[in-house]
Amino acid sequence: MTNSIADSAQTDLFLMIGSNPDTSHPTIGLRVHQAVDRGAKLIVVDPRRTKLADRADLWLRIKPGTDVAFLNGLMHIILEEDLWDKRFVEERTEDFDYLVSKIKKYDPDLVEKITGLAKNDLYRAARMYAAEGRHAIYHGMGITHYVTGTDRVKSIANLAMLCGKVGVPGGGCNPLRGQNNVQGACDMGALFNTLPGYVSVSDESLFDRYEKIWKVKLPRRPGKPATEVWDNINKGEIRGLYIFGEDPAVADANISHVQGALEKIDFLLVQDIFLTETAKMADVVLPAACYAEKDGTFTSTERRVQRVRKAVNPPGEAKPDWQIFCELSTRLGYPMEYSSAEEIFQEISTILPQYKGITYERLEKVGLQWPVPSQDHPGTPVLHTKTFTRGRGLFVPEDYIPPVELPDEDYPLSFTTGRDLARYNFSSMTGKTPEINVISPECFAEVNPADAEKFGITDGSWVRLTSRRGSVEMRAKITDRSQEGTIFATYNHLETLVNLLTLDALDRLSRTPEYKLCAIKVEVLDEQ
Amino acid sequence: MKILVNGTPVVAESGMTILEAARSAGHYIPTLCSVDGKNSDKPCGLCCVELVGREGLVLACSTSVEEGMEVVTDSEAVKKSRQEQLTRLAETHFGDCKAPCNLTCPGQINVQGYIAHVAMGEYEEAVRLVMERNPLPFSVGRVCPRFCETRCRRILVDEPVSINHLKRFVADWCLANKVKLKISRESVTGKKIAVIGGGPTGLTAAYYLARRGHDVTIFEAAPELGGMLRYGIPDYKIPRDILDYEINTILSMGIAVKTGLKWGRDFTLEKLTDQGFAAQLITIGAPLDIPLEIQGADLPMVIPSLKFLRDINTGKAGKYGKRAAVIGGSNTAMEVARCLIRQGVDEVTIIHPRPKTEMSANQRTIREAENEGVQFLLMADPVDISQGSHGMNLVLTRMRLGEPDSRGIRLPEPVPGSNIILEVDSVVYALGQMTFAEAAEGGHLEESLELTPKKNLKANPRTALTNLVGVYAAGDATGGPKTVIQSVVAGRRAAENIHSQVMDVERDAGENRFNFSRGRSFDDVDLKNFAGINVKLREKMPERPPEICSQDFDEIKLGFTENMARQEARRCLSCGCSAYDRCDLKRLCLDHGVDPNKTGMGTVPLYTKDLNHPVIAVDLNKCIFCQRCMNSCEYDALQVTATSFDEQDRPVGLQLIFNDKCTNCGKCVDNCSTGALNKKDAIVPIVNEEVRSVRTTCPYCGAGCQLSLKVKGDTLMEVGAEPDLAPNYGALCVKGRFGNKFVQHRDRLTKPLIRTRRGGKLVEASWDEALTLIAHKFADLKAMYGADSLAGFSCARATNEENFLMQKFMRTAIGTNNIDHCARL
Repeated sequence: MTNSIADSAQTDLFLMIGSNPDTSHPTIGLRVHQAVDRGAKLIVVDPRRTKLADRADLWLRIKPGTDVAFLNGLMHIILEEDLWDKRFVEERTEDFDYLVSKIKKYDPDLVEKITGLAKNDLYRAARMYAAEGRHAIYHGMGITHYVTGTDRVKSIANLAMLCGKVGVPGGGCNPLRGQNNVQGACDMGALFNTLPGYVSVSDESLFDRYEKIWKVKLPRRPGKPATEVWDNINKGEIRGLYIFGEDPAVADANISHVQGALEKIDFLLVQDIFLTETAKMADVVLPAACYAEKDGTFTSTERRVQRVRKAVNPPGEAKPDWQIFCELSTRLGYPMEYSSAEEIFQEISTILPQYKGITYERLEKVGLQWPVPSQDHPGTPVLHTKTFTRGRGLFVPEDYIPPVELPDEDYPLSFTTGRDLARYNFSSMTGKTPEINVISPECFAEVNPADAEKFGITDGSWVRLTSRRGSVEMRAKITDRSQEGTIFATYNHLETLVNLLTLDALDRLSRTPEYKLCAIKVEVLDEQ
Repeated sequence: MKILVNGTPVVAESGMTILEAARSAGHYIPTLCSVDGKNSDKPCGLCCVELVGREGLVLACSTSVEEGMEVVTDSEAVKKSRQEQLTRLAETHFGDCKAPCNLTCPGQINVQGYIAHVAMGEYEEAVRLVMERNPLPFSVGRVCPRFCETRCRRILVDEPVSINHLKRFVADWCLANKVKLKISRESVTGKKIAVIGGGPTGLTAAYYLARRGHDVTIFEAAPELGGMLRYGIPDYKIPRDILDYEINTILSMGIAVKTGLKWGRDFTLEKLTDQGFAAQLITIGAPLDIPLEIQGADLPMVIPSLKFLRDINTGKAGKYGKRAAVIGGSNTAMEVARCLIRQGVDEVTIIHPRPKTEMSANQRTIREAENEGVQFLLMADPVDISQGSHGMNLVLTRMRLGEPDSRGIRLPEPVPGSNIILEVDSVVYALGQMTFAEAAEGGHLEESLELTPKKNLKANPRTALTNLVGVYAAGDATGGPKTVIQSVVAGRRAAENIHSQVMDVERDAGENRFNFSRGRSFDDVDLKNFAGINVKLREKMPERPPEICSQDFDEIKLGFTENMARQEARRCLSCGCSAYDRCDLKRLCLDHGVDPNKTGMGTVPLYTKDLNHPVIAVDLNKCIFCQRCMNSCEYDALQVTATSFDEQDRPVGLQLIFNDKCTNCGKCVDNCSTGALNKKDAIVPIVNEEVRSVRTTCPYCGAGCQLSLKVKGDTLMEVGAEPDLAPNYGALCVKGRFGNKFVQHRDRLTKPLIRTRRGGKLVEASWDEALTLIAHKFADLKAMYGADSLAGFSCARATNEENFLMQKFMRTAIGTNNIDHCARL
């Protein structure tokens, strides 16, 4: 997030796009609701009728996968009606002319056709967002889980810069990150294309620096993203895989493909707290401590670095992951000797400029939001208040590319997924609380009433959903929360592996799969 | 503006209430209803304060500050008014603070708590909870007379819960599953403490002293530890391997042991003091039999019971012939008789001068002895033994009950001329035990130890201190033989007292007697309490039939299966309040000296418990209408209402309704001022155990909510949030507050697993084996196919430190950039 969660108290207008915080980020959703209670305006762009959509001043039920066209369309109107922030564009940005030239063709007629949104609503949304005030864009996996995820994120940034909504409290572009420490894992350089602190693997001088600190020759060849590893295994290029705390056998897109690769690999090492589906396929499984059994830090979606504290001992012989890495690394001839998580953090803060001023002592009461360039710096609740990281904000307009797999004769419906409030991922953790199984006993295929009639589906009947990659069976729920032509299901039930259906086509830059949209067909099953 | 609170200046903003202003300056004003700036429709009245220069009291929660206001928060008038308000609220509060089982247990073990752990399948936690107060769950779980079960409220429905069998089950489960309990020790104190005698009292004391960080040495005269548990109680009750495991668990706290050293012979108290022991605890038990003082008691086959049992338990049993008599009616006598049966004696007769019902032995044990073929010759007393031609002649006189004495007790008296002769091959007598024949021996300190008239050590029952400085005594050595659980209590109390004395710290406050109760005796308990509870008889303990088990020394009772234990634990009615440790009503009553036992409390249930909410249990019998649940809810998801109010403004016809806005977040429960709202999964009451609050970050989504983990010992009990901490300011979702059962879930991985051949099974391995295999595989693949043939996935749910090390590991030790995580998944 460029801004903070607490900022919502100052926001005059929320543009929620591809995000349903009521289920995915409940305490953030709560703040948005409370802001709306006190009178903040709300635009929701979502194919699904979410709780916030019910309360929105304007709910735009967009056709799934057409967000770039929509965002470009808004900018087209804003330019056409001269609603853009000239001063901000002048002082803070670059390549405005290129933006104008690219946006030109996204006139409301075209955008209406692509997105299915009425021209009137497009105008209304554009005028509301571009008006005076602290206006924040929030987005979630409904934006990024597409082959065009990066294009969408860029388009959101273009829109915010065009209207001068960045760098002010209550505004900004606010991706709501899924996992508790996905922000931190990225900051730490657990990525194939960046070293810790977002140093690109092509930055030779920084490689020199890291080599000096770590006293080792580092590989300068680019790495393979996680989503491509499966193909690489099938091709025999990757032969050993070390999976730490992930369960790709159920969580990745198109899991039949993943499982095939996991069966093929020469050596699979899994380190986890439970014997997950992936761990069951491993050659070695190492028992790890969970969050309550170790010290450390997580970095939240608002870039807040916060302490994780040991409360109880790990069960049996399980160990904190960091100790396992140290022992393994030492055995492989690169000794790692840390006596505590804090000692590792000290190394992190010497390497990462964003973390430079952070110490465990400073995190004792409240976390700090990076960048924290020095020990007396109070942290940064709002990014880009004066300049952007690169200086001027660069407009990077992108053209609309349609989703990979659109409905056709054989697979006439679209399929999309989302999160269940009471559950997390595939429930390896939440599923251990019996009450949660009472709240959310199963997952449903949510079918729009019109589709129900068309395909002869009744409420509660069993259906089989089939994509080009696989099938799953579940019960149907007839609800207008789903858009006509689209079936929605949550992805949190281990018994109903919706990722047998999902599509593993990848974004050309980030290599994110198109989780959120694929084509399916539906069959009604006999009573089970 | 400025105001004065108890004479101290406080800066307040205009518009603030007195309560807010005082709180912001750190002045405490109690309240039961104020939350998030809102109060109950019927304010609790606890926040009353006096304003200098004004008549009467005002409510701090609803009075705004004014410039120069002088507030007094603790005057006599204020205190009196608060007492009146608390009395008023307590009069209709209905429930049990503590469960009767807990109140009855001599060890004050949190019985309801460990049963709840069993019901949830958390056996390791159950054992840890038992071991807060009893480090001998294996033994006590086998031999306890079960005081708790006599008061179990389930008796009013059908039968008491089989509490003791559950304790035994969890202990045995930990043994079978090789659980290491990892009980933590406090930091090292540097104090050396000697425990003389390694029986149940000594072991218990050593355990709690070691937990406190002391350097403890047990001195034991016998070759092995255990005392009566090992040398007195036969194998068929406590098998040796079980006892060894139990003792080893205690010793794993880091306790030194010196066996084969007898006090008075091999060392003296003075010598221990010279060796730097800051305190010496004598727990030698009562190892001597009270002698049989009749003619012929010195014949070789007339054996004292403790010698007999020791011989049996150390494999030195002799030949006892075909006929044996056992003199005495104690538990020891019963065990002697049962051992004789197992030694192949055909006729074993217990001789006792009173009726069977007046034997001191447990009736259950008497029945078991009888079932195994032991005979009883009652109302008979030995007078003489002599060697005859066919064994010994044991002369008995018949007894009858005399006239009642002044206390109404009918003592047995001999019937003149009624002598009979019993021909026996051996006689074992169990007439009671004592500590010393004459006095303690060894040195001048020993000789100066004061004894009781019954030749036990004299020690202050509260402090365990003898007449000598630094010398303590506890257990059977001070009061004669008692049950194992009573020895445990004695050992624990002595340990606590020694700790406070050697460290010069206050002793932990004893249990307060404050208790709301649904009825002290069974007659007081309204049967409406049990409406809707179906009869479900207790699980039957599987045991070997007497005719088989009396042939050998193998254990008779086989223990509950896991399924039986879970079923039995679910029979618990959970009488005690699971809000015991957080109840504000109780805390404020205690603070203000209001004792509802004197001032009054609810006596009948007016409302049935509502269990319809998926995560919250509602018991309006405990509701005091503070409305904090409703006023703290961020979703406007519940309403608590009353149809009317009585003359004292207490609610009548309470109703609490959740609407469909409820997100199951549970914040209302955390704000409940009593136990009216409870988390359904928080069924383990925290009674006297020390609780820590650990602040941490939620492991689920990216919002980064701050959590407070409530931790008892090594057990995560509950999750809450602090209202003043960014970013969530006390708000959590259902996952944050309830989704934490996985931490202690038994499916957790506890050992490395390896698959030695493709298609084979994953089997447990040591860390060394697993790491060696991994290092070998990685090195091989790297050598054959290059570093880029290896790839790693890091974890967006793990810490920064771990992600940092994982990528560092892949880039340095392996040498590839094939490192990634699910950032885009």
